[in-house]
Amino acid sequence: MEKRLKASEREAFRLIEEMLQLMESRGLVELEMEQQGLRIRLKKATSSPTPHVVEYVAGTPQAIAPSGAKPTPGAGEEGHQVVIKSPMVGSFYRAPAPDAPPFVEVGQDLEVGQVVCIVEAMKLMNEIKSEVAGRITEILVENGAPVEFSQPLFVVEPPS
Amino acid sequence: MFSKILIANRGEIAVRVIRACKEMNIRTVAVYSEADRNSLHVRLADEAICIGGPKAEQSYLNIPAIISAAEITDVDGIHPGYGFLSQNAHFAEICDSCNITFIGPSAQSIRLMGDKIAAKDLMRKSGIPIIPGSMAAVKDKDDALKTARRIGYPIIVKASAGGGGRGMRVCHNDVRLLSALMTCQAEAQASFGSSDVFVEKYLEEPRHIEFQILADKSGHTIHLGERDCTIQRRHQKLIEEAPSPAVDAKLRRKMGELAVRAAKAANYSSVGTVEFLLNKDGTFYFIEMNTRIQVEHPVTEMVTGLDLIREQIRVGAGEPLGRKQDDISMDGWAIECRINAEDPSNGFTPSPGRIVAYHEPGGRGVRVDSYVFAGYEVPPYYDSLLAKLITTGATREEAIRVMQRALDEFFIEPLRTTIPLHKQIFSDPTFQRGQISTDYIDRKLQLGENE
Repeated sequence: MEKRLKASEREAFRLIEEMLQLMESRGLVELEMEQQGLRIRLKKATSSPTPHVVEYVAGTPQAIAPSGAKPTPGAGEEGHQVVIKSPMVGSFYRAPAPDAPPFVEVGQDLEVGQVVCIVEAMKLMNEIKSEVAGRITEILVENGAPVEFSQPLFVVEPPS
Repeated sequence: MFSKILIANRGEIAVRVIRACKEMNIRTVAVYSEADRNSLHVRLADEAICIGGPKAEQSYLNIPAIISAAEITDVDGIHPGYGFLSQNAHFAEICDSCNITFIGPSAQSIRLMGDKIAAKDLMRKSGIPIIPGSMAAVKDKDDALKTARRIGYPIIVKASAGGGGRGMRVCHNDVRLLSALMTCQAEAQASFGSSDVFVEKYLEEPRHIEFQILADKSGHTIHLGERDCTIQRRHQKLIEEAPSPAVDAKLRRKMGELAVRAAKAANYSSVGTVEFLLNKDGTFYFIEMNTRIQVEHPVTEMVTGLDLIREQIRVGAGEPLGRKQDDISMDGWAIECRINAEDPSNGFTPSPGRIVAYHEPGGRGVRVDSYVFAGYEVPPYYDSLLAKLITTGATREEAIRVMQRALDEFFIEPLRTTIPLHKQIFSDPTFQRGQISTDYIDRKLQLGENE
């Protein structure tokens, strides 16, 4: 049966993929991300290295995959990541000009109010400022790619 | 012809436009607020872009966000639907400057017809009868009182930039007029950004008759017959039918010619509607022209056989009309009921929430234009229209019988809807005889309260 993914489902799966990559690369045991109407929590079963999807909430609850072995109670969380989302629709640029160095790089420390990128809308270059401080652990969008409202752009680890 | 269209709207009209595009092999882009992530138009479109927060100003009225979405998806046309930005001349101009076709009339036509006072003036100059009243915005209290006494009470105070039944007050005497002036001006400023109001004679027990216009960009203009939208509650339409039981062929020809003349005077192209008030004695007056596709367009589609959204897209792409007035005929009868998420037994309070059980009526002579489904959470941020139930028949009586049968089959549980009210209206002999005027609902509801 052919099933063409619709935009909302595509977005959810993309988010899950990104979260899985994050968990693997950072060795996380648990990661939860929420956008209005959509909350995804991934919890790693400590007996196996592969995280299992626990719940997909988007209006109507549906289990995407059966939850695997129960995680050991008291398993620690490594880090509590925060996501910087796009406040507008437009094209995402990492630098103020095509030949200029990017505003920020992975591993860089951020201050509140620091410009992290540009979202271009209707020929206007809008500087997007971070509302959080911390270290950039991931840049989720390619330079020049289109972004929509509340699309995740950067993952930031706040100072512990 | 367009290759990709962005629908700058939501709900049932967004679904309607997407349907027409699919049938024309035009790709579609939906835009949605965060509250509409699971909405049907998002699922049905080829692409979807989230443009902002739940409130209309953050999303469906957010011009930069919508234009931005249009640019990143590389569309060549934007369909504005009805409401929201559909009659926003500024938006139409921005589309023009971004080389994206606004599927509707020109910005000038929108601006002209959006100014109720200027529109009346244009009609008067074109020899179209207009309601006696002030020809300019009311200057002050004395000006209003003088006009009211000149044309005679009862009068209605209306916002010049208004529409959709808002910013209007009926007055039967000077005292009422003075307080109505203040409230209307305040309402007008808040809703439409302009406190200009004018005064008109208020017709008692008129019928609301509107003519559907279709024009191409070369000025070829025809009408597609009338719709009778007399059943209204507080100036909001509830039931519409085509043709009107009060319009015979001769009157249709006469009013239709004037409607076409009105559209031509405004250099109109695309679909539009010219609204009249029809008196019992057969006299009629122009009230306003709506420069967009309307909610009730399906009843015209059912009796003329045309797909109005398809025609709107075709002429929007610059195609010629391809039809003459003689090519249009009205066959049979169509009636539409607006199914709103409101509780008629409780002052029509809005009733948003999650739909648990949903069943649409079907069978011969039934058409449903809806955007809801079982499991859908109706958001509280937008208008309450859930679905339009349209029935057809060879005669008005047959269309009414089909509607009564169809209303019994329509479940949208556990939401409160206007379905029970429609059932009451359709079983009322006065309605069945077609002897109604614009105060029918308000009087009927008052009677209900007093029982």
